[in-house]
Amino acid sequence: MRRASLRPMLRSPLIIVTSIVLIWFTVTFLVFPNANLLVSTFFPDGQFSGSAVQRLFSSDRAMNSLWHSFLLAGTLAVTVNVVGIFIVLVTKYFDLRGSRVLWLGYATTLIYGGIVLAAGYNFIYGRYGFVTNAVRNVFPEVDPNWFSGYFAVVVVMTLATTTNHMLFLGSAIAKIDYQTIEAAKNMGASTWTILWRIVLPALRPMIFAVTVLTFLIGLGALTAPLVLGGTDFQTIAPMILTFSRTTSSRDIAALLAIILGLATIILLAIMNRVEKSGVYFSVAKVATPLTKQKIRNPIAKVIVTIAAWVLFVVYVLPVLLIVLFSFLDSTAILTGTITWADFTLSNYATVFGSASVMRPFIVSLVYSALASVIVVGGLLFVARIFQKYPNPLTSLLEYLLHIPWILPTILIALALVMTFDQPNPLIGGQVLTGTTLLLLVAYIIVKIPFTLRLLKAGFASIPDSLEDAARILGAKSLFTFRKVLFPLVLPTAAAITALNFNSLLDDYDAAVFLYQPLYEPLGIAIKASTEGENNLDSMSITFVYTVLLMIIMGLAMYLVYGRSASPRKRRRGGVTPPTAAASGASTGVSAPLVSPLASTSVDAGPGARGSEEPTPAGRT
Amino acid sequence: MISYDNIEVTFGDHVAIPDLNLTIEEGEFFTLLGPSGCGKTTALRTLAGFIEPSRGEIYIDGKPATNLPSEKRRVGMVFQNYALFPSMSVGENIAFGLAVKKTKKDETKRLVAEIADQVELTADQLEKNVSELSGGQQQRVAIARALVLKPRILLLDEPLSNLDAKLRVQLREQLKNLQSDLGITTVYVTHDQEEALTMSDRIAVFNKGVVEQVGTPADIYDRSATPFVCTFIGAINTLSDDTLRRLSSGGGSTLDPDGPAYVRLEKVLLRRPAASEGYIHLDGIVEKRSYHGAYSTYVIDSHGSKLRAMVTENGGSPLVEGSAAELYIDPASILQY
Repeated sequence: MRRASLRPMLRSPLIIVTSIVLIWFTVTFLVFPNANLLVSTFFPDGQFSGSAVQRLFSSDRAMNSLWHSFLLAGTLAVTVNVVGIFIVLVTKYFDLRGSRVLWLGYATTLIYGGIVLAAGYNFIYGRYGFVTNAVRNVFPEVDPNWFSGYFAVVVVMTLATTTNHMLFLGSAIAKIDYQTIEAAKNMGASTWTILWRIVLPALRPMIFAVTVLTFLIGLGALTAPLVLGGTDFQTIAPMILTFSRTTSSRDIAALLAIILGLATIILLAIMNRVEKSGVYFSVAKVATPLTKQKIRNPIAKVIVTIAAWVLFVVYVLPVLLIVLFSFLDSTAILTGTITWADFTLSNYATVFGSASVMRPFIVSLVYSALASVIVVGGLLFVARIFQKYPNPLTSLLEYLLHIPWILPTILIALALVMTFDQPNPLIGGQVLTGTTLLLLVAYIIVKIPFTLRLLKAGFASIPDSLEDAARILGAKSLFTFRKVLFPLVLPTAAAITALNFNSLLDDYDAAVFLYQPLYEPLGIAIKASTEGENNLDSMSITFVYTVLLMIIMGLAMYLVYGRSASPRKRRRGGVTPPTAAASGASTGVSAPLVSPLASTSVDAGPGARGSEEPTPAGRT
Repeated sequence: MISYDNIEVTFGDHVAIPDLNLTIEEGEFFTLLGPSGCGKTTALRTLAGFIEPSRGEIYIDGKPATNLPSEKRRVGMVFQNYALFPSMSVGENIAFGLAVKKTKKDETKRLVAEIADQVELTADQLEKNVSELSGGQQQRVAIARALVLKPRILLLDEPLSNLDAKLRVQLREQLKNLQSDLGITTVYVTHDQEEALTMSDRIAVFNKGVVEQVGTPADIYDRSATPFVCTFIGAINTLSDDTLRRLSSGGGSTLDPDGPAYVRLEKVLLRRPAASEGYIHLDGIVEKRSYHGAYSTYVIDSHGSKLRAMVTENGGSPLVEGSAAELYIDPASILQY
């Protein structure tokens, strides 16, 4: 790899200005707030103090939350793998009838997750949920809180987090060299022997990677424990939120966030180490595409088919009920007695007819659109500089811009709140906490690593000879960037913008710390609707929000992946959008696929370094 | 016209070209030939201005050009993968350089049409996207794009390597004709010896960053200057000590019986030539015959050498494997270093 000196960068005034702005942004919003969090926790009065640690150890709630987080992470590492691997096998490996429909059913978590999913399950199975009420109409002795606590959180997060398996393991299984399976068959191996001895061992590194990511998602889970955990099952993230609300316990919140960050860094380091060792999928020069395997044992086939369709119903039912309930009023849902007359468009009329009801939706749309466009637009030139001028300065800046990948979103949000709650010289003596700007800053920050990686990959996939050709024809750097490089990287940039937009639309993790009360975003409004009986009127509105979100997210997913996976030949060439791993499409740019759900307590992680490497995708 | 004067190119600690000295004449079709990684593309890219040499000077038209930006060297280049801009149409690709120079629309249109005609691209094809063209057509677009700015020098970096064998032969003739018609100085990089021999006025054979020989195709083939050149260009037999001793036994032989010796396949005759004076006769056994259609190659075991001979049989009966063979070799055709 070329390692240039700083000198070529200094020849262009545009690059100098961009670099200065970048250095300021990195120091002000990435380095300083997180360093400030550490200092204020361990050096509150300028001297080292272990009081935060002491207070943490003496707080039963805090210690319980730590234990619960690790318990949840450990449980999910098992349950998500069981369900996730099963899903991948029945849709990508075994020849089951209706596997495409099954895949679509399991893929519903691609278009709704996070607070929306937790709220949806709560409205259906929770204390005031439709199913709970319907069952209690028949069996009044049933506990109304049956879907609450550890069990409910595990169920919801298991279903939500299998997205990683669908995307990354699904892509990995498609890369297994079919000739290895044929060779095993030729030597007399049974379907199950091949699965256990050939297929699953080949997938081991990817299974390990998604397990680590699942563990991290469990560790930093915020919305599912918050909505469904009840009083008995709270984890670290909700505790951080609780402790951060009072100044006296902010140090405990910060310490918990640091513990979460440390655990994330350690696990990601282990994952990177494991990823570097071992042969992954195929050593063949010309690998043969996988052909789906028939289950020859009829009993096994029946059992697998039934299990696959039961799981399909589990995945699809909440989505169907949400769509259905969006046409009903809260009373009908609460009483559990529904007639045809109850189906109306009044909820939609309320949402679209009332500015105040529509407001959270608009606020989130504006925030998401602004953040997605700013982060892509800003990094377009930065990614090009990093790619073209590899030197110590650009390397350092690139590392620093990846900070949001190794730190949980709630830690970043907390650090921002605690840093900019007083006039800060780095931002001209302004205060940002409590303003509408800080949430926008946070959204931009958390999307930087994902955006930068994909844009850099986009630029890297353009052959150097194109630039050489433009240069020898007399084009200057900016002209070449504008006329040759930009049109080629534009599809990637558009896809990243759409994915970023999707993932921010129903964000709760950053918003809950940073939103300005007059501009309440959607995630906050949905969460409020799940709190107690008094808010049940807003339940129907939330169903409408959810349907709208699913439509927008589905549309964005189609625009990004559906069209790029289409066999129709595009008229103009160019760099293709982030790899459609889920659809198995072969595209030009090797880039990690992150679902639009990829915004959680742990955002798209540093695991996403190359083609179809996993990044946390579940939000719960 | 062009000269490389003590050019050294390094990549980190690796010296790709230690000391290159070459002169290319005006209007010449000059080929840089060698195996992969020998430095030929590096030499070409240094001339184009994409690589800065660590030492030495490049002269174009007698003027130092080492520090001249590539766009000011008046060189056109066709890349190995053509480097066509995928977001532009064929016409836009060809007109790119003209757009950079802010050429007027009418003039651009005229120049594009003119060059398209020369490289046999139709008006219809100019409207298409480059991805809709075949490999051969894309290559023409790349040539047209390089030539439309009327460069003084045309650089071609293995432009035929991505094409199938038949198209390659067809296009190399067209390329050579185009170069002859335009009279443009052309520097051509290839690893294909046949391409180099058929197209070039002169060839420089590269090996590990060093030019082993510069000469006309006939010089390179018949009077290879080094063992590397003679083994790299065309197929060749290495003679055993015993065979060489027998061939050098004639009175007045200038062959060194102890040195390595080589003879080309077509110089090993399996029938007594009409004018056989000077030829040495050797016995051998036919080990193998390979049929190639227009000719056959034989492997003959003769005095410790596995000699390969190329024979046009013209309907005559071929030699049978295991049968005795008579070989005739003119010692003057033996290459020794």
